[in-house]
Amino acid sequence: MLVLTAVPTFLVLLILIGLFIRARPILAQKPFFSLFFSSAWSPLKGDFGLLPFIMGTLWVTFVSLVLAVPISLLTAVYLSEYAPLSVREFTKPIIDLLAGLPSVIYGVWGVLLVVPLVGRVIAPLFGVTSSGYTILAGGIVLAIMIFPTIISVSLEVFSSIPYPMREASLSLGATKWETVHHVVLKKGLQGIIAAIVLGLSRAFGETMAVLMVVGNIPRLPGSVFDGGYPLPALIANNYGEMMSVPLYDAALMLAAAVLLLVVLFFNVLARLILVRVERRAA
Amino acid sequence: MSHPSSLHWLRRRKLKEGIFRVLMAASVLVVIGCLALIMGTIIWKGLPAMNLSMITQTPKGGYYLGREGGILNAIVGSLYLASGATVLAILFSLPVVLYINVYAQKRSRLASLTRFSLDVLWGIPSIVYGAFGFIIMIFFGLRSSLLAGILAVGLLEFPIMSRAADEVIRMVPNELLEASYSLGATRLETALKVVVRQCLPGLLTAVLIAFGRGIGDAASVLFTAGFTDRIPTSLFQPAATLPLAIFFQLGTPFPEVQQRAYASAAILTVLILVISLLARGLGKRYTRHIIK
Amino acid sequence: MKRLLGGMITFAFISMLAVSVPPPAQELSGTITLSGAWALYPMAVKWGEEFRKLHPKVRVDVQAGGAGKGIADALAGVVDLGMVSREIHPIEVEKGAFAIAVVKDGVVPTISAKNPLLDRILSSGLKKEAFIAVWITETAKTWGDALGTADKTALHVYTRSDACGAAETWAAFLEKRQEDLKGIGVYGDPGLAEAVRRDTLGIGFNNINYAYDAKTLKPLPGIMILPIDLDGSGKIEPAESVYQDRDAITAAIAQGVYPSPPARDLYLVSKGRPQAPLQVEFLRWVLGEGQKFVAETGYIGLSPEKLADGRRKIEGR
Repeated sequence: MLVLTAVPTFLVLLILIGLFIRARPILAQKPFFSLFFSSAWSPLKGDFGLLPFIMGTLWVTFVSLVLAVPISLLTAVYLSEYAPLSVREFTKPIIDLLAGLPSVIYGVWGVLLVVPLVGRVIAPLFGVTSSGYTILAGGIVLAIMIFPTIISVSLEVFSSIPYPMREASLSLGATKWETVHHVVLKKGLQGIIAAIVLGLSRAFGETMAVLMVVGNIPRLPGSVFDGGYPLPALIANNYGEMMSVPLYDAALMLAAAVLLLVVLFFNVLARLILVRVERRAA
Repeated sequence: MSHPSSLHWLRRRKLKEGIFRVLMAASVLVVIGCLALIMGTIIWKGLPAMNLSMITQTPKGGYYLGREGGILNAIVGSLYLASGATVLAILFSLPVVLYINVYAQKRSRLASLTRFSLDVLWGIPSIVYGAFGFIIMIFFGLRSSLLAGILAVGLLEFPIMSRAADEVIRMVPNELLEASYSLGATRLETALKVVVRQCLPGLLTAVLIAFGRGIGDAASVLFTAGFTDRIPTSLFQPAATLPLAIFFQLGTPFPEVQQRAYASAAILTVLILVISLLARGLGKRYTRHIIK
Repeated sequence: MKRLLGGMITFAFISMLAVSVPPPAQELSGTITLSGAWALYPMAVKWGEEFRKLHPKVRVDVQAGGAGKGIADALAGVVDLGMVSREIHPIEVEKGAFAIAVVKDGVVPTISAKNPLLDRILSSGLKKEAFIAVWITETAKTWGDALGTADKTALHVYTRSDACGAAETWAAFLEKRQEDLKGIGVYGDPGLAEAVRRDTLGIGFNNINYAYDAKTLKPLPGIMILPIDLDGSGKIEPAESVYQDRDAITAAIAQGVYPSPPARDLYLVSKGRPQAPLQVEFLRWVLGEGQKFVAETGYIGLSPEKLADGRRKIEGR
């Protein structure tokens, strides 16, 4: 059993090393700067600037978090603190269903509803013309996809806070919201952060749904109404061509390795924050 | 006592409460509304193509070009694949999660490192698992097959199942473990007979969550499982899967076939709904084994 | 007389040696797996069906996923034949790609049927230089720039996000490669058609089979085919007006009126020359009897010379 427990760590290292080995050709041939800080992407000419894709990933994820976190937290608070049992029992299967919907379906729905919404309704509101295939559309679809993650983890966190704490606050004359604010959210902060990081991870890795709505333009995005090109979409769109262009497969493996490193980075960050929060609470 | 400022503050606090109540209600409505919109769109677009033959027949010749048949090949293929992958994931998940909770110290570095690795694995996009599965496939000389798909999806399900199981198992109070040891049980016996029993509903939920995710994922099977119009009879044959069936039906130039894609999506959704209801139901049923 | 008899015997002897005895048709069994281009998908499915009618013990499994997947799968050996809807690159040949041209089709430029300048566009078409300005250099920002008028209506350019034969072929027409095509990348042929249908100011391109309705043979509802001004005259002459329905455009391609590119050969690719009798027989059949089904499925048959070339290539001659 001890041996098996080493498996997860082993796997992470294996995948990371495997990807870097496959990416070595391009790391050896191209200067580091041109790979990560250049926005020129023309594989046939030998330009492999990954910056637009890194920025695309960051933009889409950021938008989805901005949209998802408030809505998810408010929903979780409502379900945990305010809702009558019937509403809670009714909503839980709905959230499970949202979590279980495959990404192909989100993508299809995104093309049907979200892209026109952004192109014909939201963009004109801001005085911008847009086809709708934008970072905003990708962010909206992603946000809906990560609702269930953040909500369900937050719900678990809230339910682990003992009732007497809430009762103490209420008995001191606090309103329900103040109780939530000062007791539930404060005590649950580390769990909420964990929930958000989980949501972030899911958002980073989501491929199919986003690639159908995001516009796939390999340029640095200037606004949320521009098209973007996140890293997973790059890999999915071009996986087939890998064998056919020199260094392309190494570039895509590098992109996958970068994704893995970013996920690692955010997990480390979350751990550090959690440790500090724990220390403060102790 | 008519203290003007305290009344003023009270009103402000009540206002704050009111505002947040509205925001919360709005949020919940947004969440429910999104699901309703998505389901509604799928059903509306898929209904014209829905009929019994969709789930009882395999595609006859030219199905993707508009002729008769159904998606039984994809339904069965997906079930085989997700089941295989889930079993594979259980074989690796359960020992790992039991180990870090029963054998290792709660705060040990190994447990921390393993949990961290599981979190990272959880965040890896499914397409990377598909790509990794492709590399392994070529390494072992496998062709597009059910087995290759099971490997890739199993990799995907492993961290999902482990995380969910870990959440449940770490809740087991120490007293329970100590009570078991004090009765002379070994750690293995404690792990298998006490902990697993205690957490059975949660573990079942973990398994079913992973199963649901595995059956719905397209990116990991695209490069590994292949596709076919038949129901696979061996691990080394290609297998059709529901997400890919939807994908391919959407990719044809025929509107009737595209409609069938929506119907297939509805079928997949129903399947997932059944699984999640099953997860909740089984959870409640096995709660009687739990020691409160 | 003796010489004649001797000649006949020698002739019979030689012809017996020359004709390799194929296995009787009833003995063929097994599975052939194909994957790759959406463009070849309908044709491959049709061929699979018809082949099965002759050899009931044979299964033909066809998977789409794009031309890139087709070649990657074929070179990796995970599939028997890759369906590729573009020219094979030298680096792929080096890796072992063995390609047989099996059928022809084409890519056509598309616009929305609700384009405000529809009549003007249909009557004058666009020259190749205008297409280059739209997709490659991005100097055409408005419909006026593209048409050569002063019109200021915005132009929305679409291309394919997935590495695919259609985009590579369209780019070849513009003398570039797919990565040089600028515009909003939409996934898949139907996706691009849908995007152009919805955007009245949009311009895109599609495989013929995805631009025309398979039953009515007319352009898909909501889409119009943008005529190419081949002779640069600024007007679409009757000889250049070949887009009314699928039969018209396929005839134009067959006669060479519509240029190649954007018309192109479609290939089945294997890793190295196919050795298995089943694959060889399938390919031979595709190049022979299989060509009967090409027109009804919306494709263009290859010339007899090309077919003979293909047969020779399979046999290693």
